[in-house]
Amino acid sequence: MTLVAVRTEGDSLVDGYRAVVGDGPIRILESLARQLRGHRIAMVNSTATGGGVAEILHRLVRLLNELGVPTTWEVMTGDTRFYGITKTIHNTLHGWPGALSEEDHAYYLAMNRRAAESLALDADLVLIHDPQPAGLAELRRQAAQRWVWRCHIDLSSANSAVWDFLAPRIAHYDAAVFSHVTFVPPMPVPAYLAPPSIDPLSDKNRELDESEVEELLAPFGLPTRRPLVTQVSRFDRIKDPIGVIDAFRLARRREEAHLVLAGGSADDDPEGAEVLAEVRAKVGKASDVTVLLLPPDAHLVINALQRRSTVVLQKSLREGFALTVSEALWKRRAVVASAVGGIPLQVIHERTGLLARSIEGCASQIIRLLRSPELRRRLGGEGREHVRDNFLHPREARDYLALFARLIDIAHGS
Amino acid sequence: MIDLRDAFELRSVVHLVRPTGARASDLEQLRAGIVAAPDESLFTHGLQVQLRAPAVDELPPDDFSGWVNGVVQDRETAERLSFAVQNRNGSPQELRTALIEILDSVGTSARAARGCPPGGEFVFLAAESVPLSTGIRVQDAGELIDALVSADASVCFFHLTEEPWGSEGGRFPLAEWIAARGEARLADWLGEARVMGLPIESMRRKIMQRWRRSHLGRRVSDAASAPDVARREAGRVAVARLVRRIARVEERS
Repeated sequence: MTLVAVRTEGDSLVDGYRAVVGDGPIRILESLARQLRGHRIAMVNSTATGGGVAEILHRLVRLLNELGVPTTWEVMTGDTRFYGITKTIHNTLHGWPGALSEEDHAYYLAMNRRAAESLALDADLVLIHDPQPAGLAELRRQAAQRWVWRCHIDLSSANSAVWDFLAPRIAHYDAAVFSHVTFVPPMPVPAYLAPPSIDPLSDKNRELDESEVEELLAPFGLPTRRPLVTQVSRFDRIKDPIGVIDAFRLARRREEAHLVLAGGSADDDPEGAEVLAEVRAKVGKASDVTVLLLPPDAHLVINALQRRSTVVLQKSLREGFALTVSEALWKRRAVVASAVGGIPLQVIHERTGLLARSIEGCASQIIRLLRSPELRRRLGGEGREHVRDNFLHPREARDYLALFARLIDIAHGS
Repeated sequence: MIDLRDAFELRSVVHLVRPTGARASDLEQLRAGIVAAPDESLFTHGLQVQLRAPAVDELPPDDFSGWVNGVVQDRETAERLSFAVQNRNGSPQELRTALIEILDSVGTSARAARGCPPGGEFVFLAAESVPLSTGIRVQDAGELIDALVSADASVCFFHLTEEPWGSEGGRFPLAEWIAARGEARLADWLGEARVMGLPIESMRRKIMQRWRRSHLGRRVSDAASAPDVARREAGRVAVARLVRRIARVEERS
């Protein structure tokens, strides 16, 4: 069991975020922090590195401490068997095939018991992330504590047997938080919505000047005279890379452009490697399409690529929240995306971007955007403001603090 | 209950959004959902839109008309719902009645026939408000205006939109307080601004403009008799404000 030491040196995060979102949202965070004076928060998840949850916790824990709300981050560790079981839980909650045996149930609970004995969990406000440590509430919860379960997974098509095993554990919490309304199953406790968020100060999203962008993209030999149409996504069928190529080819008959399909390495994912091979076969010798296989830490390259793109696509067939859309909007890019998962919250059709429901629709919207700098400027400008108001880390921190403030009020009968 | 003799404390607000469990896949179910929806749900889908996009030039559509227009694709009903949300929103009951009247006029069989594609259901949400102290207490109209200029959008939203909407008998605490301070005209302007269906920043600008225009004469006569140093300082402040405004406009474009 690990207590994560969050980096605290360097410039103040509060000041950094204030420069991005303005005084108002930071003053709200400060008000909430004052309201929570005397309380302490513990965050618990199952990894200190890798993955979106760890990424946000590094920032969030530091931010909350800077605001004056003492916050610790504890990690529940496990062994290979436990991680195998929790991987099955994760996949089956996402609706993929799989099942847990009675032994798996027992092992999951035993590992949660072990964690319950070794973790401090001595804060009065506890935020548990995802299913791995979800069993801790029934084992450690004290009457004066408020416990919240933060589910980052889409449970809309969860395997019912697995959810039936997990739901009684969740019943010991005061509330649960989901990223999107469609992810929420029938719940034994009040469910709240808090969309995920991006970090405007991270390498993936921070401002880059023209020369940095050129330098970062130079190794890839992308055309500089033709507008780039880009989709950044892992090579996965649900991201529809083949549909992207089809839509681009239709658009390309009418307008000059170059397509970039950029995704993470697929070495450890047999299906990913298969999809990548299909994409490469589909591209063939075409000189107007570039397929980029990027390492997991290529944040600056992705940043540069999005900034250099004239149109950013997210033509997924199914999605979680799809924060790549917010990343592109934050950079004032014109976005064409499918109306699936959390995308319609980010892309408000004709205001912050364009939605498409078919290959032909996607092609038409690409053509419109390539032809109209004014439309791109308008959508990109509104998109950036929409992200500033709704999808940056300070807003997510605000939602957690407000929920704890509300739960304390409810406990005090107001 | 506010004491009209005391200073007025400005508050901001955060909304925690939760699903109510109700869904609609056609206009008939939308009507049933609106009949049964808690006030907080009508607030979320009708009024809270203003806070989601505080600085736009034109308010985005409310959730009801947005769904009827974009998903059900019944443009006429959407237009009428949108008009009702913007113009008959004095209280939860007024808004509910207006929405139901419009949906009733569509006719039962037509309502059931006008549905959404799979996956496009309207999901009813409700917002729980967490009001927050800003620590700002104002004593008079001048202080109120100064505070509103720099306040977060949620402060304006809370006092001008949310508080009067949710209060018993349609009371408007901020306007009552300012009227009790002898500023009946400002109280009227606050009341007018809140029902104009404007985005928050436009609403705030409208109030400021009216207030400043009404005090123009006094400001000119004060400035004429002020010493040079004070006039230079006032000029410097005005230029700095203009530069900040231009910078904001450039940042947003």
